Amino acid sequence: MNTLEINGLRKEYVDHYTGETIPAIGEVTFSIGEGEFVSVLGPSGCGKTTVLNIVAGFIDHTAGDVLVHGRSVHGPGPDRGVVFQSHALFPWKTVLGNVTFGLRMKGVPRAQRDVAAADILELVGLSGFERKYPHELSGGMQQRLGLARVLVNEPEVMLMDEPFASIDAQTRRKLQQDLTEIFEKRRPTVFFVTHDIDEAVFLSDRVVVLSHRPSTVAEIIDIELPRPRIWRETVEDPRFREYTHHIEERLGGGEPDAQAG
Amino acid sequence: MTTMTPPAAPTRTPVRVPLWRRFGTALLAHPAVRTLGPFVPFLLIWWAVAAAGTVNAAFIAGPVEVWQSFTELVRKGMMPSYLGDSLERLAYGVGFGLLIGLPLGFVVALSSWARRLTWPLLLFFQAIADIAWLPILIVWFGFSLTSVTFVIVYTVVFPLMLGIVAGVDQVPRELVNAARSLGAGRLRVFFEVIVPGSLPAVASGVRTGLGYGWRALIAAEIIVGTSGIGFMMFDARRAGEVSQVFLGMIVLGVLWYALDALILAPFERATVERWGLVRQMEAAR
Ligand SMILES: Nc1ncnc2c1ncn2[C@@H]1O[C@H](COP(=O)(O)OP(=O)(O)OP(=O)(O)O)[C@@H](O)[C@H]1O
Ligand SMILES: [Mg+2]
Repeated sequence: MNTLEINGLRKEYVDHYTGETIPAIGEVTFSIGEGEFVSVLGPSGCGKTTVLNIVAGFIDHTAGDVLVHGRSVHGPGPDRGVVFQSHALFPWKTVLGNVTFGLRMKGVPRAQRDVAAADILELVGLSGFERKYPHELSGGMQQRLGLARVLVNEPEVMLMDEPFASIDAQTRRKLQQDLTEIFEKRRPTVFFVTHDIDEAVFLSDRVVVLSHRPSTVAEIIDIELPRPRIWRETVEDPRFREYTHHIEERLGGGEPDAQAG
Repeated sequence: MTTMTPPAAPTRTPVRVPLWRRFGTALLAHPAVRTLGPFVPFLLIWWAVAAAGTVNAAFIAGPVEVWQSFTELVRKGMMPSYLGDSLERLAYGVGFGLLIGLPLGFVVALSSWARRLTWPLLLFFQAIADIAWLPILIVWFGFSLTSVTFVIVYTVVFPLMLGIVAGVDQVPRELVNAARSLGAGRLRVFFEVIVPGSLPAVASGVRTGLGYGWRALIAAEIIVGTSGIGFMMFDARRAGEVSQVFLGMIVLGVLWYALDALILAPFERATVERWGLVRQMEAAR
């Protein structure tokens, strides 16, 4: 059974002022297997965030099914952990308070929470920052915390919506590398949204390319690059460029900001 | 605040700065001077006007007379007892005001139908000045503590509720979503996200409410009063004791200033800083 299954998903927004319906997602079908890293790529405004928000349970869909391990999704839940582009950390909680939030909601005893938190903070490279508040961290560190907060909760699927988009290019590279290593170590199931083609190819096992709005799945590409992946070596692989060129063509030359890095 | 004090003069141009200015700079940096300094010229002018004798003594009392009547009233025990009465009423009013306003505010803020239902009522009742209730309150409750408390509760509740609604509205949707996908149910979302997220606005609502409540109290005491600072002032007017009227005004100012500067403002600032508005504040700097 697939971890996440999206079948014939459709979404129409209703404009608050004019009352007209705007089709955002035409028909999207794809699935993500256990321990698989899948990126969704597409032109700006094609509905990537909409798909992710539906899976997260933040918004309703118009038609189709979203199944997590065969269960249909209703509202947000801890089985689907979300890493937000804007981090969405609790500013009044320390790093430790943020990381242990999910475990606290589950009723995990304190001693156990602290052990798990120490473990995960080590993994994302935030050891020693337990007592700091989010605003005392850099943007990159804040997103590491956002990642740690979800990882420690061991969701069935992790949802990440352009998590590195608001982070400077250099830090972004480092975060992409670290995310790959974390993924290779822990093998969570990941649904990753981006419009950076290099990022999608480097991180993913599969890339789902969406068409313009109302979006449909234009193509699903298996990325057969060996793991463990190391940025410098992986981009040297001729297949890496083949994949990115192919996707660029698929996207109609690609967007200017998709070429970054 | 600290950025407004000029850097210590000697380190910059030690030779040219005259001694008096160096002294002045050091003096201005002292918090007591900064707080009380502006009152010095005010006191001097007041004293000069009173001492010049151009204004009839029935209309104005100088600082010296006011001080004398202060010490006299303290000695007789009237000042402490009136002050105690006023503060007790304020405490009752604010206590009940918070007890009513906090839960009501959150209900209106969180439930869309409660908001639709009560919003016009809120705006309507907020528009009736607190004092305008006094005639009917006196009919209902007589010249009693209940009437005064009612007025204060009334003045505290509305700014508090409006503050809570504004505060809840400004909690980022994304934080609620984050909490829910980390497994928080409705109740946990409320206590873990909505309450802390809206606390800065609630704190400033409490502060505004208290300020209004304090003013309403004095007005109510003047009308209803059988004791209290407001009563003291009005009673002194009847007896022609201008110095006590002046004294009452000063006590009101000093008391509120102390309450606000020592408790309310720091509390509000602390919540704003801790509760993550720091980033915006830093960006604005
Ligand atoms: N709440 C809404 N009401 C109406 N229309 C909306 C709403 N949210 C999104 N849309 C529209 O739906 C379409 C898809 O939006 P979405 O945010 O999912 O795109 P996206 O692929 O994530 O874009 P980007 O790459 O810029 O993040 C857009 O055309 C957008 O204007
Ligand atoms: Mg988006």
